[in-house]
Amino acid sequence: MATTYDAIVVGAGHNGLTCAAYLAKAGRKVLVLESRDSIGGATASEEIYPGFTFSTCSYVVSLLRPQIIRDLELSKHGLEIMPLDWTFSPFEDGTSLLRGPDAEMNRRNIARFSRKDAERYPLFGQAMSELGRMMKPIIESPIPEPSKLTPSTIFEALRLGKQFKGVGEEWLAANLKMMTMSAVDFLSEWFESERLIGPMSVSGIIGTFLGIRSPGTAYVLLHHYMGEIDGAFRAWGLQKGGTGGVAMAIARSAESLGVEIKTGCRVDKVLMTGSEARGVVLVNGDEYHAKAIVSGADPHRTFLGLIGEDRLDEDFVKQIKRFKMRGSSGKVNLALDSLPEFPGLDQESPALRADITIAPNIDFLERAYDDAKYGRFSREPFMDCVIPSLTDPSVAPPGKHVMSIFVQYAPYNLKEGPADWENQREAFGDAVINTLERFSPGIKDRILHRHVLTPWDLEKTYGLTEGNIFHGELSLEQLAFMRPAAGWARYKTPIEKFWLCGSGAHPGGGIMAAPGQLCANTMLKARAV
Amino acid sequence: MSRAIIIGAGHNGLVAGLLLARAGRKVTIVEQRAVVGGLCAASEVHPGYTVPGLLHDSTGVRREIVDSLGLSRFGLAFESEAPSVLAAHSEHKGVVLHAEAKRSRDELEALHRGDGDGYIAWRGFLSRIRGFVSGVLSEKPPLMKPDSIAELWSMGKTGIGLRRLGKPDMLELMRVAPMCAADWLQESFGDSLPAAALAAPAAIGASLGPWSAGTAASLLLYESVRGAEVKGGPAALTQSLQQAFEAAGGAIALESAVARIRVEQGAVCGVELAGGEFIEAPLVVASCDPKRALLELVEPASLPLDVEEQVASIRLRGSTAKVNLALDGPISFRGREGERHARAVVSDHLDDIERAFDAAKYRACSKRPHLDVSIPSVNDASLAPDGKDVVSILAHAAPYHLEGGWNGDARERFGDAVVEMLESVAPGTRARIVAREVLSPADLEDRYGLTGGHIHHGEHALDQLLFMRPTPKLARYKTPIEGLYLGGSGSHPGGGVTCQPGALAAAAALKG
Repeated sequence: MATTYDAIVVGAGHNGLTCAAYLAKAGRKVLVLESRDSIGGATASEEIYPGFTFSTCSYVVSLLRPQIIRDLELSKHGLEIMPLDWTFSPFEDGTSLLRGPDAEMNRRNIARFSRKDAERYPLFGQAMSELGRMMKPIIESPIPEPSKLTPSTIFEALRLGKQFKGVGEEWLAANLKMMTMSAVDFLSEWFESERLIGPMSVSGIIGTFLGIRSPGTAYVLLHHYMGEIDGAFRAWGLQKGGTGGVAMAIARSAESLGVEIKTGCRVDKVLMTGSEARGVVLVNGDEYHAKAIVSGADPHRTFLGLIGEDRLDEDFVKQIKRFKMRGSSGKVNLALDSLPEFPGLDQESPALRADITIAPNIDFLERAYDDAKYGRFSREPFMDCVIPSLTDPSVAPPGKHVMSIFVQYAPYNLKEGPADWENQREAFGDAVINTLERFSPGIKDRILHRHVLTPWDLEKTYGLTEGNIFHGELSLEQLAFMRPAAGWARYKTPIEKFWLCGSGAHPGGGIMAAPGQLCANTMLKARAV
Repeated sequence: MSRAIIIGAGHNGLVAGLLLARAGRKVTIVEQRAVVGGLCAASEVHPGYTVPGLLHDSTGVRREIVDSLGLSRFGLAFESEAPSVLAAHSEHKGVVLHAEAKRSRDELEALHRGDGDGYIAWRGFLSRIRGFVSGVLSEKPPLMKPDSIAELWSMGKTGIGLRRLGKPDMLELMRVAPMCAADWLQESFGDSLPAAALAAPAAIGASLGPWSAGTAASLLLYESVRGAEVKGGPAALTQSLQQAFEAAGGAIALESAVARIRVEQGAVCGVELAGGEFIEAPLVVASCDPKRALLELVEPASLPLDVEEQVASIRLRGSTAKVNLALDGPISFRGREGERHARAVVSDHLDDIERAFDAAKYRACSKRPHLDVSIPSVNDASLAPDGKDVVSILAHAAPYHLEGGWNGDARERFGDAVVEMLESVAPGTRARIVAREVLSPADLEDRYGLTGGHIHHGEHALDQLLFMRPTPKLARYKTPIEGLYLGGSGSHPGGGVTCQPGALAAAAALKG
C-alpha cells in the first residue's frame, strides 16, 4: 500500500529541496524523490578522482536569496560561503587586469588601460547595485499575469509598480535599456577599453545562447550583479567543500523539518485521475501518492516527459516545445599537480584566488559565439575558472589543486547532431586546454586528470534537457510572465495539483532557490496542500 | 506670420514643412543637396536609367497621413496591392511570397510540407495585430512615467487595445517582440529560404543578424505598416510632397547646408548657412539625424550635459551599401524566365544573412552579402529604356568602420561581391551590366549627411525604439532647446519611408 503525502517533490536539486523545506516548515508532510544516488542535482560535489572533489556542474554561489538562508537556517546546517571577491583577467600579451574590493587598486589597475575607465568604474558599480536593488522586488515575488485583470493581479502589479514610484525617469530608462541592450553596447556607454569591456561583458552571456553583442545580454549582466551574500550586493562566493554543500545544507534543513528524501528513485510518470495529479510512479513500478505533486525538473522533462504530450492541451504542448533550452556551455574540471602560473604575477597577488576570466577582447568572444551559431564548439572558448582548493584545501590532496573551468560555447546541437559529442568530447577538452595554455603557459604539464562535461553529458547525467544549465535560456521572451509559458508563470500548471518549482519557472536559473521558495509560498497561499 | 525652418527636404522634412505651412507658418526648408527628396530623391544611374530613391521601398508610407494631406491632388497614387517578393535561390526557382498568403501556399508546400500553412498562419497573426501595432506607431510614443490624466488615459487606451487583441494574440505579441527574427520564423517554416526572405526587412539598416534578439521587433515594425507601393516609388512621393508644400506657400532653399543652429538663452533663434547667410526663426524642425542635429549643428554647450551624453551614445553604425545597376536587357531570375518581379531578396538560408553580418562585426565586408533588390522598371517602364531594367540593391553587410577605410578598391570589391550574389540567383545579369554605381556607408554619409552612413538615423534596436527613440528625454520630438524639434527617422517610429516622424514632429511643434 502506497504511503500518502501532502506533497511529493520530483528532483532533489536546490529548488526542489527548498520548495520541500518551505512546505514542511508550514507543517506539511513532504517526500522528495531523486533519480540519482546523490542529492543536489546540478548543485553537486563529487570526488571524481581519489582525493579531488569537484563542484561538478555549478561552481559559484551568488544568487542564493538571503531570506532563504535565514528562513531555512542554512548556516546552521552547513552553509559556509567563502567570498570570491576578485576577478582576474589575463591577456595574451602577458598583461592582466585584477579587480576586487580594493577601490584604489582597481583604479590603478584599470588606469593602465584607460584613465577614463578607471574613473568611471566605481560609478558603474554603484549604478549596477542600484539597478539590482530595483530589480530585487521583481525577483522576490511571483510575477503578475498581464492577461488576467483580476483584482489580485491589479493589486500585485500596483505593488510592484510602487517600488518604482520614487524612482527617477533616468533610472527607469537605465533599467529599460538594461533589459533591451547588448552587454557590449551597454558597457561601451561606460567604458572605452576592451580589456575591461571583454571580461565584464561575459557575465551577460553565461548560460545563454547569445553573443555579447546580442540585445538582452545586458540584462543577464545584471542578473549576475544581483548576487548577494549576507545582504552585500554583487558578491560571489564558493561553498566550503564544493557547491554540493549548498544542496546538502538545504537537504539537512529540510530533513530537520521532517522532509523525507529518497535517492535512486527515478520517477517515470505522474499518476493522474482525470485532469488531476495524484501521485507518481517510479521506473521500478513503485507508486507514491500525494495531494500535490511538484516538479523540480526542467519544463521539457516535466511536461513532455513526466506528464506526457497526450495528457496536455495541444496549444500548451506547442508552447513548451518552443521554450528554448539550447545548452551552450560545458565544464572542464582539472586535477592539478601544482598551481598554474600567469605571467607577471607576484607571490602576494590574490589573482589565483579570484574568478579567473579568459575573455581578452570583444572579437575573441564574438568569434567564440560565431562557432556555436553554426554548430561547432568554440575553437577558442571563453572560460571562467576558479581554483577552490586555494580557499578550501579539503577538496584536494596536500599541495595539489582542483580547477573548475566553465566553458562557453559548447552548443548541444552540434552540426553533426548532439550524439556526436561522444566523438568530439576530447577535442573540446583539448581546445579548452590549448587556449588556456596561451594565457597560463605550462598548465598542460600540471594536469593530473581532466574531466570534460559536454552539454550532452549534462543532459545524460543530470537530466538537464539539452544541457541547459538554467532550465531554459534566459532570453527576454522566456522571462517573467513568459517563463516557461505565457499564462503559466506562477508555478501552477495546466494539470491540477501539479506544480513547477525548478529554474524553468520565474525568476529563472542560478543557485538562487527563488523558484523553489516562491512555488512553495504560492502553493501554501492557494491552500493547495 | 511666424516663421519656421525645416532642416532637410527628405520625406519627413517635407511632411513637417507642409503641415506647418498649412497651419499658417511661413516655412523655409533648407536642403544641403541640389535636389529635393533626401533618401527618396531619384538619381540617374546612367543616361536613360533612373532609380527612384536611395530607399526603394515605399510600402511603409502611412496612408492616413498622405490622405489627410490630400496628396492625390498632387499626383500621388498607389499600386493596387502590397507587392509580392521573390525569395530567390542560387539552385532552384525559389518562392514568391505574396502579401495574400494563400497565393503562396502551393509553392511553399512544394518546398517543405507545412510551410504553406505556416505562412498563412504567420500572416494571419500579423494581420490581427496590425491595427494595434500601427496604431501605436502612428501616435507619439507613450511617456515612460505618465505625468497627467491625459497621458494616463492614452497609456490606458494602448493597454486596452492590447487586451482587445484577445489573450492568445496579446501574449504572442509580447512574446515575439523581444525575440530574434530567426527563432520566430523558424517556428513557422521548416525550409530556411522563406524564413530568410521574411527576415530580410529586419536586416535593413541593422547592425545585427537575424540571430540577434530584438530583430523580430524590427520585423513587426515593418510588417505592421506594410501596404502597397507608391506608383513611381519613393521619388514620386517626395515630388508630390514638394508640389503640395510649394502650393501651400512654402519655400525650399537648395544647396543650403546648415552650419549652425543658433541658440540664444535656451531658445532657438534661427539657422546659419554654410554660405554665411542667417535665417531667423523661432521654430526649427531638424529632420536630419539626431547626432548631426544636436552634436554638430547646435551651438556647443547649448544642451544639458546628460542629454548630450545620451545623444552621443545613440548607435548609428551603418552597415548598408547601395548598388545601382543599369542593364541592357531585362533581369531574369533562375527558373523564372519570362516572369517579371519587382522585388527580390537574395540569401539561400537564414544563416547566410547572419554570416553576412558576422563579417561586419570584425570590420570587414561580407563576401557573400545579403541583397534586398528592387527592380523599379518592372512597375514603371519609363525608368529604363525599352525592354531594359534598372536595378536598385541595398546590400548587407558593409560596415561603416571598415578596416583600412572605404577607398575605391574596397568599394569596387564589395560591388563585385554584390554582382556575384545577384548572378548566382539571376544568371546572365553580370553580362548585361552597362553601368554600376556603388555607394558605401561612407559615401552615404558624404552624399546624404547620414551620420555613420546609417539610413535609419539610428539603429532599430529594442533600446532605441518607442519612448527610447532617439533617447528617453527626446522621445517627444521636443528638445531642451525651446523651439527646436527633431522630425527625422531618428525619432519615433523610426526609419523607412513612412512620413510618420515628420508628421508627429510638426504636431508637437504646433502644440508648442
